Amino acid sequence: MAYVSMGEAHRRITEYLNRFCDAVSYQDSSMLCRLLSFSSNSPSLLSLADALNVFQDASSLIRQSDKFSEYGEILAHLFRSLQSYRVGNLVEAYLAFEKFANAFVQEFRNWESAWALEALYVVCYEIRILAEKADKELTSNGKSPEKLKAAGSLLMKVFGVLAGKGPKRVGALYVTCQLFKTYFKLGTVNLCRSVIRSIETARIFDFEEFPRRDKLGTVNLCRSVIRSIETARIFDFEEFPRRDKVTYMYYTGRLEVFNENFPAADTKLSYALQHCNPKRERNIRMILKYLIPVKLSLGVIPKDELLQKYNLHEYMNVVQALRKGDLRLLRHALQEHEDRFLRSGVYLVLEKLELQVYQRLMKKIYIIQKLSDPARAHQLKLEVIAKALRWLEIDMDLDEVECIMTILIYKNLVKGYLAHKSKVVVLSKQDPFPKLNGKPVGS
Amino acid sequence: MNRRSRGSSSSSGSVGGASDSYRRRSDVPRNRSNDNNKGGDSADVSFIVGTCSSMCPERERVTRERLRDLSVFERLHGNPTKSSSDLAVKKFCRTLSAADVQASDVRPLPVLEETLRYLLSLMDSREHPFEVVHDFIFDRTRSVRQDLSIQNLASERVIHLYEEIVIFHVISRQRLQSCSGTSISSMHHLNMEQLAKTLTTLYNMYDANRKPDYIYENEAEFRSLYVLLHLNTSSGVMGEPLSLWFRKLTSNLIKSKEMCFVRKLLRSYRNGNYRSFLRTTASEATYLQYCISEPHIREMRSFAVECINNVCYKLQPYPLLRLSQYLMMKEMDVESLCHECGLEIRTDSDGSIVLPTKQTNFCSPKEGFKNYDLIGIEVERESDDMLSKKKFTEICLIFLIRVFKYSDSCVLVGTYC
Repeated sequence: MAYVSMGEAHRRITEYLNRFCDAVSYQDSSMLCRLLSFSSNSPSLLSLADALNVFQDASSLIRQSDKFSEYGEILAHLFRSLQSYRVGNLVEAYLAFEKFANAFVQEFRNWESAWALEALYVVCYEIRILAEKADKELTSNGKSPEKLKAAGSLLMKVFGVLAGKGPKRVGALYVTCQLFKTYFKLGTVNLCRSVIRSIETARIFDFEEFPRRDKLGTVNLCRSVIRSIETARIFDFEEFPRRDKVTYMYYTGRLEVFNENFPAADTKLSYALQHCNPKRERNIRMILKYLIPVKLSLGVIPKDELLQKYNLHEYMNVVQALRKGDLRLLRHALQEHEDRFLRSGVYLVLEKLELQVYQRLMKKIYIIQKLSDPARAHQLKLEVIAKALRWLEIDMDLDEVECIMTILIYKNLVKGYLAHKSKVVVLSKQDPFPKLNGKPVGS
Repeated sequence: MNRRSRGSSSSSGSVGGASDSYRRRSDVPRNRSNDNNKGGDSADVSFIVGTCSSMCPERERVTRERLRDLSVFERLHGNPTKSSSDLAVKKFCRTLSAADVQASDVRPLPVLEETLRYLLSLMDSREHPFEVVHDFIFDRTRSVRQDLSIQNLASERVIHLYEEIVIFHVISRQRLQSCSGTSISSMHHLNMEQLAKTLTTLYNMYDANRKPDYIYENEAEFRSLYVLLHLNTSSGVMGEPLSLWFRKLTSNLIKSKEMCFVRKLLRSYRNGNYRSFLRTTASEATYLQYCISEPHIREMRSFAVECINNVCYKLQPYPLLRLSQYLMMKEMDVESLCHECGLEIRTDSDGSIVLPTKQTNFCSPKEGFKNYDLIGIEVERESDDMLSKKKFTEICLIFLIRVFKYSDSCVLVGTYC
C-alpha cells in the first residue's frame, strides 16, 4: 500500500465524492459505473482506497458538505467496503458492500428514469463477485460459506424493484442472469425449473428485446419473480436488450440438458449460438460444450473442423465412435474424460449414446454382409454380432446380445424382429436403420 | 463443492478420532432438512446442550401417563397409564422454536445413542404387526433427529446415528411391502419422505466435517443410495437432477466401488438394458442397495416383457422358462408378472408354458408393492449360518454383506468375488 499524505488523501476522497455526486446530479451513468466497479481494480479506485485507509475518518468529510451528506449512507458503506477490499478482508468488504447495495437500490427506486440501470448492473455484478470471494475466504477459514446465498437474496430484491411498469423493467433480464449464475455456482439449480417454465409458458418475455447477454436465469429466486411477472404481464420480451438474451438462453438451455429435455435444450442453446457475437470465441465454446452432446443425442454429428476450431478435443473420440459404431472407443473416451464430463454435467447424456453406437455397428455388419451374401444380408445372426463385439474387445454372451437387439428394435433404432429360437434378427427390407431425425432415442 | 477444511477453531481432535461431539456454531448449512430449524439465525444463536438423562424427559412421561398417551411399547405391563424410564421414549413434536425448548427436555449424545439402540432392537419384535412397530420407531427416531439438530451436534458418532436411521427407513420400506391395510401407502410415502430428509442431513454432515480427500467408512454406500433413488429422471425424490449431483462428488467417491456399481446400474437402466441391470444387481448389490432398487427391478422386468412381446417373431412364442432365467425370477412369478401386464400365456404342444408375442393388450403393471424375488444365477453360496435370518441389529453391523435372507422367502444373491 502506497504511502499517502493526509493532504493528498483528503484531496482524493473529496475528488471522488464530487465525481459521485455530479454523476448522480447529471445522470451520468457511465461515470457512476466506473466509480463502483471494484473488480476492475482501476488505479483510481485503488488509490482512493489507499487514501481512505490513511484518512480513516471519511464520514466526517461526507458530513461536512450538504452536497455529499445527501448520499451519506450510501457513501459511508461504499467507502468501508472499498477499504476492506483493499486490505484483502473480503468478508468485511462483502458485508459493507451489501449495505451499500441496499442503500443504493433504495435511492435507485426514487430516481424516476432508468438512467442508472447500467450502474445498477455494475452493483449486481460486483456483489456477486465479492460474495464469491468472501465465500472462498470463509471456506479457507473453516467456516460455512453463506455470502453468495445472501447475494442471491439481494439480487432477488433488485429484481423486485425492476419488475414493475416503467422503463426500468428492461433491466430485469440482466439481474435474472446474475441470479442464474449465482444459483449455478451454489448448485441449487433445481429451483430454476419452475421459474423458467413460467417465463416460457407465460410468454411474458419476448426475447428479442432482452439484451443479448442476459438470457440465463437464476433458479430459485426467479420462480416467484417470474410468477409475479407473469401474472402482472408487465414484461414484453420485445423490449429487453439484445445482449442479455444469449446468456439467458445459454443457462436455461443448460438446465434443459440437466433435465435431459433435449429438443428444448437444442432450441435454446442453438439460439444462444446463433445470436452470440462470433468474436466471442470463449462464449461460443461454452455454448458448444453443451450443445454438442445434445445434438449427438438427436443424431446430428458435428464436423471435426468445428471441434478443432473451438478446442473441444474431448468430444473427438465420442464423435468418431458414433461414426464408426465403435463401442469400445466410446467407453474409452468417456473414461478418459470422465472427470471433465462429470463436472460439466454431460456425462450421463454421453453415456446414453451407446444405443446409437450399437445401431451404427449393426448397420456396418449389415453392409458387410450385403457385400458378401446379399440374399441373406438382412438376417443378423446373434452369433455374428457377438463375434463383432468380441473383435471390439467387448465380451458379451448371447443372452445379452439378444437383450441389446431387443431394445434396439423396441426403440426403433433397428427395424425388424427377433426370432429368438433361431437366434437371428430379421431386418426389415426397407430402411432397417432409421435415422433419428432430430428426435431423441426411444421417446 | 462446499468442502470446509478444518480450521483451528474446532475444539476436538481429528475427524477419525475422538469420542465426543463438539459444537459448531455457524457451520451448519442453512438448508438442513430438519423439522425444527425455525430458531432464527444460526450464526448468532448458541445451541442448547441437552441434559435429559433418560430416553424420555420426566415431565413428558408424567404428562403422557396422565393423558393416556402411551404407545403399546411404552406401557408397563400393558397398563395404558403407567410407563417407566426404561420404556418411555421422547415423542416427536413440531416445536415452535429453539428458544422455547429447555435443556432438560433435550437428550445429550450418549443418551441418544442408547435411545436409538433400544428403538432399533424393537425391529425384530414379533409381538406386534410390523406397521405398529414401524410407526413407533418412525416417530421416535424423528425425535432423536430433532434433538440432534437442536443441539447442532456433528461428529463421527452422530454420523453413525444418522446412518442407522437411514438403514431403518430402508428396511422398513422393504417390510412395509408385505403389510396390508389402508394406511400402508401413506406410511410408505412418509417413510420415503423421512428417508430423503435423513439422507440429506447425512450428506451435509459428510461434507461439513471433511478433510480433503477423505471419505467416511460408509459414505460411498450411502451416497450410492441417492443414485438409486433417482434412476428415473422424472421422479425426483430429493429434487436435484443427477447430472448436477454428480458434479459435487469428490473424485474418491466417484471411483469407489459402490458408486461404480450404481453408475453401472444407472447406465443399464437408462439404456434399457434389463439383462445387465438385473445381472449387475444380483451380483454386486449390497442389501441396502437391493432394497432401494426393488421398484426398478420390477420396472426393468415389465419393460423386458414389453420389449419381448413387441419385438419377437410371432411364430416363435417365448418360453417362460427361458424368460424366467433371463429375468432372474421363478417361473411362476413370471406367469404372475405377465398377467399383471395384461398378457396371456399358454401351454405349448410339448407341455412347456410360453408367452405368445405380438399381443396388443400390454399394459404397465399398476403401482403396487408386489415384488418378486431376484434369483441369482451365479450363486456361490456362503455358509449356512450366513443364510440364516439376520437380526436387524446384525444387519446394521454388517450391512455390506451380499447374501441375505428376506423374511420367509430365500433370496439368493450371487456373491461377488
